[in-house]
Amino acid sequence: MMMKFALFLGCNIPVRVPQYALAARAVVDKLGIEMVDDREFKCCGNPIRNTDHQTFVLMAARNLALAEKLGLDMMVLCKCCFGSLKKAARLLAQDAQLQEQINAQLAKEGLHYAGKTNVAHFLSILYHDIGIDALKEKITKPFKGVKVATHYGCHALRPSDVTEFDDPVAPVLFDALVSATGALSIDWPLKLECCGAPLLGVNDRLSRDLTQKKLVDGRRSGADYLCVACPYCQMQFDQVQQMMAFERDMDFRLPSLVFPQLLGLAMGIEGDALGLNQNLLDISGIQSFLE
Amino acid sequence: MFYHIVLYPALAVFGIGLIYKISGWFRFSIGIHAKTMTMWARMLSAAKGLVAVVLSQKLFTLIRVFIVDVLFQVRILKEDKLRWIMHMLMYAGFMFLLFTHALEKIIKTSLFDRYYLSLNPYLLVAGFMILSGIGIAAYRRFVLKVPRLSTNAMDHYAMIILAILLISGIAMELTKLTSYNHYQKFWYVHILTCFLGLAYLPFSKLFHILTTPASLLVNAVMDTHSDPANIATRQIMELDACTHCGTCSYRCSVAVAFDRIGNEKILPSERMQFLKRYITQKHLSPRGLAAIQQGIYLCTNCDRCTVVCPAGINLRDLWFNVREELIQRGQALPLMLTPFSLYRGLNQPKIDSERYDRPLNATQQWLTEPFELLKNTDALIAFTPETAAFKKAAVVSGTSFSYCFTCENCSTVCPVVNDYEDPQKQLDLLPHQIIRSVGLGLKDLAMGSRMLWYCLTCYQCQEHCPQGVNVTDIFFDLKNLAVTVAENAFESNVSDKQAIDLGR
Repeated sequence: MMMKFALFLGCNIPVRVPQYALAARAVVDKLGIEMVDDREFKCCGNPIRNTDHQTFVLMAARNLALAEKLGLDMMVLCKCCFGSLKKAARLLAQDAQLQEQINAQLAKEGLHYAGKTNVAHFLSILYHDIGIDALKEKITKPFKGVKVATHYGCHALRPSDVTEFDDPVAPVLFDALVSATGALSIDWPLKLECCGAPLLGVNDRLSRDLTQKKLVDGRRSGADYLCVACPYCQMQFDQVQQMMAFERDMDFRLPSLVFPQLLGLAMGIEGDALGLNQNLLDISGIQSFLE
Repeated sequence: MFYHIVLYPALAVFGIGLIYKISGWFRFSIGIHAKTMTMWARMLSAAKGLVAVVLSQKLFTLIRVFIVDVLFQVRILKEDKLRWIMHMLMYAGFMFLLFTHALEKIIKTSLFDRYYLSLNPYLLVAGFMILSGIGIAAYRRFVLKVPRLSTNAMDHYAMIILAILLISGIAMELTKLTSYNHYQKFWYVHILTCFLGLAYLPFSKLFHILTTPASLLVNAVMDTHSDPANIATRQIMELDACTHCGTCSYRCSVAVAFDRIGNEKILPSERMQFLKRYITQKHLSPRGLAAIQQGIYLCTNCDRCTVVCPAGINLRDLWFNVREELIQRGQALPLMLTPFSLYRGLNQPKIDSERYDRPLNATQQWLTEPFELLKNTDALIAFTPETAAFKKAAVVSGTSFSYCFTCENCSTVCPVVNDYEDPQKQLDLLPHQIIRSVGLGLKDLAMGSRMLWYCLTCYQCQEHCPQGVNVTDIFFDLKNLAVTVAENAFESNVSDKQAIDLGR
């Protein structure tokens, strides 16, 4: 049976990291997964968590209810959206009173959330539902000799009891996926650290410090490219790296690509169909590592 | 005689209104980018831009947009078919009547000659088209209740004046053969409504007949590299081009927040209504400023409003420009210390550095201000701190804070703490100290540190706590509560008699 998911893009991907959606659609299409778009999906609530918990839950729950109405599980590309939706689903499952309050509010739009929606991140679906072996069968042009540093992304990994994504201390999921493309997934000490994006615009010095530490560490560990699966991380490692490279006089660049771009190339999809040219830092060189 | 007595003043008011409104596009300015330009400089730039476009290949873009978006209104069709039918009925009927009936003295047409002494089917069909359009509009707004579509005085006025105009016109046509008496009464109503509508047009929603096409055309040929003078002019014109149709609010990514918070400025369509008044306002109350600041900052900059606006208004750039002006007004805004600041961070090179940091620092200070104890390190801590009530309010995420045995694991793994040379001094408190403060009921210490607002929410602390303390979640709770405390203080200190001088 064909797998079918409601695709949740969030706010940033369509406007700031469109190549992520483009590449994900191209890849998923080849893997025989059907994705349903719903224009009614809106902000996941993550940005408002700092100031207004109840509104955060309402915003997240509205999306969960929409997916439930479609009768589909959600495929989420953004890790912050993923963490936010998972957290809200957990809160609602634990607190009947909260669920009642939220449903009263959702009823104004004719929506209801009973707790049936399963929220999954894009990477989890590839790893668990498709499986590494099936994925390998689709690889027609494997990479050879390229070293990739996987960046897991905080809000997928942690809090692990809520996100249930992978082992929070020694995750393997993303590395296995990258290895399946033939690329070498390297070990690097700061692999599980934050990219710095949540503080962009709030405390830019701190935000950039964290980004720089990761870039230096990735570089030192021998990475040719960073690989991410979240628009926030990608913006930080692409656009912000470009901004800070001048400000901080950095003598190297460590370009980042989103995972479906890497996977898509190995599956024989053309670079244009994966939006390679939409990245600010040039990643076209990675194609020279294809067999 | 009567006809002309009413016509000329109406035309005069219409003309003056038109000049007033259009000159306003060059006189007024909005946002941080438009400060230093004179009206004449802007008019000159507009003229230059116009000539440049007409003489370039962009002329073909204009022609295409005129046909696709102005004549056939494909942007409305893409959004909502019912609305497109509604609008086309009114628009086609109105245009037909305008050119063949209202201006029949100027534009000679043979359509009516044959019907001088009988019912004119053309007039009646056009009239009924517009009336059914108005019917659909009323149905959408009052029966269907499209979510977050609000109806204000301008919308009522437009529907009412059109309805009177059309009903009297149709009645006139139907009675012209049967009762001269009735016909004459309807004629007076029709003529009066018509000229009243004409005189008031530049100030009403119906002004969009001119401004919306202008916005669609101008936005089709302008981009971020266009002359800043022309962008400034366009942004004022766009306020007139907004028809309050509510498409932006319907598609807005965060509009659902309005359902809970209740601040209508969260809805982009209502923000536009505010901005229409704001450009000429001299003063604003502190509460009014707080509401618009919150509304305009509670935005993920997802671009949907700009993509869907049937009038082609570049809302994205308008928001950025106005948002920056509003947050520079010296009033703190808690949303600045959240991921809503991402877009501003990405656009930091467009804002000068002193301006960039000022509102952030002001907000930081405002949020930590109510918590005395942290600033005064010599102060004695009360023996019986406010424990129960505070703890209950503070920790919606449970009582896990009480398991803390101060092993400091959270502070050790925190990437923020690690980034500071003297974290205790630069962040006020470290994560484990904040958790202990909650346990001890020390409200000021728990909510007053900069550490809270520099938390990445990366959840390293929570994941690594051997005691299962939900450190990050507790931080979220404390931030929520600190905002409530600061907002309550603001509410009790502020009155609507206070006025912030907008410097105009």
